[in-house]
Amino acid sequence: MTAPIAIEVKGVRKTFLVKDGLLSKPRHVVAVDDVSFSVPQGGVLGVVGESGCGKSTPARLILGLLEPSAGEITVEGQKILAMDRKARARLIQPVFQDPFSSLNPLTRVRDIVAMPLIAQGTLDRATVTTRVEEMLERVGLSREQGTRLPTELSGGQRQRVAIARALVLRPRIVVCDEPTSALDVSVQAQILNLLAELRKDLGLTYLFISHNLAVVEHVASDVAVMYLGRFVERQPTETLFAHPEHPYTKALLASVLTPEPGLGVPDVGLGDTLPDPANIPPGCRFHPRCPIAEPRCSVERPPLKPRPGGGVECLLVP
Amino acid sequence: MSALLEVERLEVDFGGKVAAVRGTSFTVERGETHCLVGESGCGKSVTALSIMDLLARGARRRAQRLSFEGNDLRGLSDKAMARLRGNEMAMIFQEPMTSLNPAYTVGSQMTEGLRRHRKVSQREATDRAADLLARVGITAPGLRLGQFPHQLSGGLRQRVMIAMALMCEPKLLIADEPTTALDVTVQAQILRLLATLQRDLGLGLLLITHDLGIVARIATRVSVMYAGEVVESAATADLFANPKHPYTQGLLRCVPVPGKIQRDQPLGSIPGTVPRIGPGFEGCAFRERCGFADETCAHAVPRHNAGGTHDFLCRLPA
Repeated sequence: MTAPIAIEVKGVRKTFLVKDGLLSKPRHVVAVDDVSFSVPQGGVLGVVGESGCGKSTPARLILGLLEPSAGEITVEGQKILAMDRKARARLIQPVFQDPFSSLNPLTRVRDIVAMPLIAQGTLDRATVTTRVEEMLERVGLSREQGTRLPTELSGGQRQRVAIARALVLRPRIVVCDEPTSALDVSVQAQILNLLAELRKDLGLTYLFISHNLAVVEHVASDVAVMYLGRFVERQPTETLFAHPEHPYTKALLASVLTPEPGLGVPDVGLGDTLPDPANIPPGCRFHPRCPIAEPRCSVERPPLKPRPGGGVECLLVP
Repeated sequence: MSALLEVERLEVDFGGKVAAVRGTSFTVERGETHCLVGESGCGKSVTALSIMDLLARGARRRAQRLSFEGNDLRGLSDKAMARLRGNEMAMIFQEPMTSLNPAYTVGSQMTEGLRRHRKVSQREATDRAADLLARVGITAPGLRLGQFPHQLSGGLRQRVMIAMALMCEPKLLIADEPTTALDVTVQAQILRLLATLQRDLGLGLLLITHDLGIVARIATRVSVMYAGEVVESAATADLFANPKHPYTQGLLRCVPVPGKIQRDQPLGSIPGTVPRIGPGFEGCAFRERCGFADETCAHAVPRHNAGGTHDFLCRLPA
């Protein structure tokens, strides 16, 4: 039995035109390069990758904040760009990384959370107030905290406000872009637990973007590893963490410093050449840093080798 | 012989309102890596800045003892302190982009300190800078010396910062979150480099971080800070094997460890947030978030010894 598809991304490509300076020629930066994936209803797809790999772009495409240069995105069977903005807001909502810049510092918490309801323009004042109060309580904020300004709250509390604002319209899908990266570890755990609880209770689907592999392992049912605009490996979470196949996935996992004393800092074996999204290498885009690259890796483009629930893009895996 | 750095009952407050550091004590021995670990606002960076006498105007520093190689730092004139700073004691900051001057080349920034502290020619200083850049794993050092910070990637900039800190062969290196702004694969490379340099040069390294994974892998000794105090201090293996303070225990439970994650279980978390503490605060600062707190925690808390050099600040017995 397979769950119906919540998010479907087909052959999506997104390029940006970037100008370095006044006199330099604009360059094409490929943020997402022919990526296809789907997320079943109730699933959590974790997307991991390092800065500049383009991992935030799929989030913004799925939210309809950006238009893909090619390809198609459907959310719950509807083309996201063809949807009316209000309908889209009822279906899919974001939670962003930085609760310090994503909340208006001059608006009281309860008004921030009420905004999406008011924007719909169909609810009366009393209903809005009850819905906001319910939502604040649901994310663990008191009625008194609802009357405060975001600047008077801690980082964790602000992220709770952002979650309340995202969920107040009862969306089906939430796109979380690094939702805990700005938080301390003790607070990060609170927010991750809250997100997990809400997903279970409300039957939500998450696209969860993070650079923190441990966090992704905790929340995601499936993980996609992104490198320079492509998903180089996608597997069910257990498989990916137990048997990573792509050399980049292996290096990422090896770089995680678990709190185990005596092990020292691992040598991840990646060279110093850092990836540049404006200058994607031919062949396998990972080959300049790959510890096991062969000559053909710089020429041949690796095909997708399918796996149950995913696939790997590497010439050197069977 | 006295320890390299001795800090005893260090207190820092800002305009008599916020007590940022409240009686912190620790020592750094020659050739050891001492980690100060804690969440944002616990006073770990202020501690580092106050050792270097780089606190902002309006901050007041007091200490029972603050000595470097047995010499009291408290009464030193600005001039005498400037002779030590960047020379015998050097510091690496978190954000390599904002701590390098964008208007000067890497070479001129790297040689400035050495030329100021030692009688060397520009030629000699440049040679040393090139040597050190090679030492920290930068290829084509001659080229890099002529470049500006914006032409380097984050990992390279942090390597430049490290090389720059080593120009005058310091005995003590203070690194404040040196890898927080970097990707995990680059972080592993930089930490390996720091560990190697520390061992080869016999540096005393005071490393400030919020990441218990880094602590476990690199520290000889750990001091856990909470609300301006060291609440627990131990040799690294002891701290991870036998954490005594409820805060340390909670912090360790919050860290998701890849491979040991039970996905259906909530992560351990610490309820609440770090309190804001003014001068004259009494008792245990963690009591409002602590599962073991009782009314005695509102009064002065004893420091217990848990065997050897392991001690912690809590009413609970060892």
